[in-house]
Amino acid sequence: MTSTVLFSWLATCIPFIGALAGRMFWDDIPQLKKSCIIWALISVAPILKVRTNLPEGALLLGLLPLVAMISLLGQPIQKDHRLSWLMTLVCLGLGIGVIVHPAPLGHLFLLALLVAMTGLLIRHHTILWPISWWGISLFCLAGCGVLIAALTNPSLSSTGALVTAAVLVPLLPFHTGYLTALTRLPGNLPSFSAFLLPSVGLHVMASALQAVPTAVSGVIGVLALIGALYGTVKALAQTRIRLMLAYAGLSFFSMLWWHTAASILATSRAAVLVASIGLATCGLLIAWQVIRTRYGDDVDPSSISGLASSMPRYGVLLTLLTLAAMGLPPFGVFAGLMGLLLHSPIPSLIGLMIILSAWLAASWYLMSAAQRLLFETRRSDLRYHDVVQQEWMALTITIVILTVLGLAPIEWWTPTTTQSMAGAFVREMP
Amino acid sequence: MWAALLIPLLPLIAALIVVCAEDETRYAHAKIAALLMGAACLGAATTLYAVTTSGPITLQFYNPATGTSLTIPIGFYIDRLSGVMMTLISAVSLIIYTYSVNYMYQDRHYRRYLTLICLTDFVLLCMVSSANLMMLFLFWQLLSYLLYILAHNHSHRQTLDGAYKTFTVLRVADMALLMGIILTYQVYGTLEIPELFSRATASPHTVALWPGMDIDAATAITLLMFVGAMGKSAQFPLHLWLPSSLFAPTPVHGLLHAGIINAGGFLINRMAPLFGLSSVTLHVALVVGTVTAVLGASMMLVQSDIKKTLGLSTIGQMGYMIMECGLGAFSLAVFHLIAHGLFKATVFLNCGNVIQKARIEPHFPHTGHTHHEEDQLSNLTWTTGFLTSLVIPLVILLVTHGVLHIPLLESHGNVIILFFIWITSSQAILTLTRLRAVASWKVSSTMLLTLLFVVFIYLFAVESFTAFLYPNPNEVASYYKAADLPDWLFDLLIVGATGLTIFGWVYLYLKAHGRSVWIPAWIDGVRHHVYVALINRLYADECYGRLGHMVLRFVHWVDKREEGWSRR
Repeated sequence: MTSTVLFSWLATCIPFIGALAGRMFWDDIPQLKKSCIIWALISVAPILKVRTNLPEGALLLGLLPLVAMISLLGQPIQKDHRLSWLMTLVCLGLGIGVIVHPAPLGHLFLLALLVAMTGLLIRHHTILWPISWWGISLFCLAGCGVLIAALTNPSLSSTGALVTAAVLVPLLPFHTGYLTALTRLPGNLPSFSAFLLPSVGLHVMASALQAVPTAVSGVIGVLALIGALYGTVKALAQTRIRLMLAYAGLSFFSMLWWHTAASILATSRAAVLVASIGLATCGLLIAWQVIRTRYGDDVDPSSISGLASSMPRYGVLLTLLTLAAMGLPPFGVFAGLMGLLLHSPIPSLIGLMIILSAWLAASWYLMSAAQRLLFETRRSDLRYHDVVQQEWMALTITIVILTVLGLAPIEWWTPTTTQSMAGAFVREMP
Repeated sequence: MWAALLIPLLPLIAALIVVCAEDETRYAHAKIAALLMGAACLGAATTLYAVTTSGPITLQFYNPATGTSLTIPIGFYIDRLSGVMMTLISAVSLIIYTYSVNYMYQDRHYRRYLTLICLTDFVLLCMVSSANLMMLFLFWQLLSYLLYILAHNHSHRQTLDGAYKTFTVLRVADMALLMGIILTYQVYGTLEIPELFSRATASPHTVALWPGMDIDAATAITLLMFVGAMGKSAQFPLHLWLPSSLFAPTPVHGLLHAGIINAGGFLINRMAPLFGLSSVTLHVALVVGTVTAVLGASMMLVQSDIKKTLGLSTIGQMGYMIMECGLGAFSLAVFHLIAHGLFKATVFLNCGNVIQKARIEPHFPHTGHTHHEEDQLSNLTWTTGFLTSLVIPLVILLVTHGVLHIPLLESHGNVIILFFIWITSSQAILTLTRLRAVASWKVSSTMLLTLLFVVFIYLFAVESFTAFLYPNPNEVASYYKAADLPDWLFDLLIVGATGLTIFGWVYLYLKAHGRSVWIPAWIDGVRHHVYVALINRLYADECYGRLGHMVLRFVHWVDKREEGWSRR
């Protein structure tokens, strides 16, 4: 018990120490990036020793430092990104803190994480994007939810926690916080937030769902179905990649909400789905960053084509990531979704149809965007440079993790107390 | 038993060998890979023999009853159906691969195409030997994606559009299949194929579409699975992707038309015990198959491009095969898809040769059109045609029933199939007769005798094949029973088809002898419209494009009206 507490604190503190240590290399940019990557990796060690009994399993906790490392690896070495690298470690520490520490400490870490996000968004707010105030307001609302969860009686507390979860794991109409984070945060923070926010959100959701009345879960189910369709329609209409990915995230996370609201349970299967959607989005954001590094931050995706023949390594990696993100087997998104849909009762057939339509539509907008970038005629006026080693590593590790999530037995991620029949493909007749 | 695993693994290793080759060694690597493909084919044939003599082989890398499984359970169940399909797929792949090694030699994407052919073989072999529906779906999905990359060329706009259309259309069907699989697990509690059948036949279940609106579970599941099969087997209206993928290299077409397109037929046959529980689904399959067969064949007749002709012929044949499933003749459908696969692979691999000859010699092929139209339809030809398409079917029906003891008369499906086979084959032979303008007693009697011989052999072969695939005759009878049409409809169909045949021959006779046949003017007008519509493949591509535009317009309309993030 004592060792668990010790390792929990170690896991929480190492990223903060890393952020402080990184401050020493402020002027040596390559060294700063290297230092941040190393500290993110070091924080994996104590997590392996932490014994938790979370209902959603320890998968998300274990992946947090890895995803932080991946998002750092995928970034170009630029002066402007220094703050985002350090803030990645800070957010990593806070995220681990939320998951490993029970209330009230967990609430404090969550509040601090939301404050950090809000602060970063305010700092990078421009008048060109006035709507980002909505996102900032929603993070404030999530903060209020945390306070309500921490300070009030159980029934009100679960409502507060649900609102916080709805902001972090995007659910209509609380999705703007997620959209703002993915599109307005600087440097590598969008790719890290794509994983961090839903991971923390699922943890909050897991505890909140247990006390939710049936009527509320019904409303959540309806909101989730509308959200899945809304996210799909909006993603189809986008020409900006980050916004398209953010709306795709809303669509996919709505599937999770629909199912968990009906089953009143956030299990390790839900964790696989959250991890996979988060990772796939993170990977695609890094892949898009590769293009932005070469052709400028405000590059128009429709002006780039023919990358498959000119940047073959990038072409293969982007293709695999796209397949994973659109929910094709054998990657984690498919496995997570199937895990949810097969292993607990389906609330309604119409709902299932809507969810699968959203799943189907992902293959249209994601495939269309990837096809536009990779194929068609190679432009002679563009200089093509295939991925450098760090970018290649970041994208490859992402794909490997997504494949492992898609193929590994679910018992690997399931708490020992709930392992029986977790992966069975034959059960008693209903 | 474990050696059976090598069958799908060998093409995978072959793919790795080809993809790892350098430019200088690519031909040598391709040759080595061909040996592995050959070994896979040999293995498949041996496995077929093994399952025939010793029963099905089951290999599972998971325990279906406990939690010790991979997320996607990998397991193999090889029964006679799987064995037959594995042998067919590996044989066709071997032929196509060996052909491609030389045919594609100068292609810039030589390694890519050869690798993809090996990978497609691997995926198809795994798919047909899946022990559970989840694994089947995994490889089903991979096949959809492989089709996309097989059908496109990096820098050719139309090819890319065609490939994208292929992928999107197939995904629609995949979604239905996935929904069917989820529903299967929710209703029967298993995805294991043999276990599923025993549970499904044990007791009927219902599912609620809407509170208070229940539907038979077997019907709901099989209808969804049927839509899945419609996509891969290019059934109307999900046939759009097949003509759009015609830019791919010839060997890819060979593989597509001889192997991949059979996936739908295989799925229906794999799930035959479940389909046999739902008359509604079988009747839907009959209608869809018939419509596809008629439209596919009609569109094929008016095309001028050899690849399009062959592509649309495949659609027609697949319609025919689905129609057979709809009539409860599952084994006949498998027999058909084997025959069609071998035939179409041969034709596709030879079509480059024909095109080359036609380029060198503009009058190729020699049709020998030296006579007038009247001469081609002499009294003798007309009598022969009339006999072959109407009188002899009835004789055969009675002889097979009375002498060969094949119970053709006991099911509607058999009669309809026989009728269809007969009209098709007699039409084919008459077309040949007209092409060569031959009208002698010698040729006519040879033709009739050949036709009789072919049909009896065919019936005998099909009967033997049915006994091979479904050793239990009661099972076969139950499928036919489930597919039976209402008596009035069956009688109407037979009378209608007979009337149409007689009318057709009378019309041809009068026309050929210069008699005037009164036809309302509007029919003539319609005929021209139909011709134009068929030559444009019923404007299906335009409809698809318009539908896509409508969806996008709606999406942008919603996006514009919604005060969302993207408008800022």
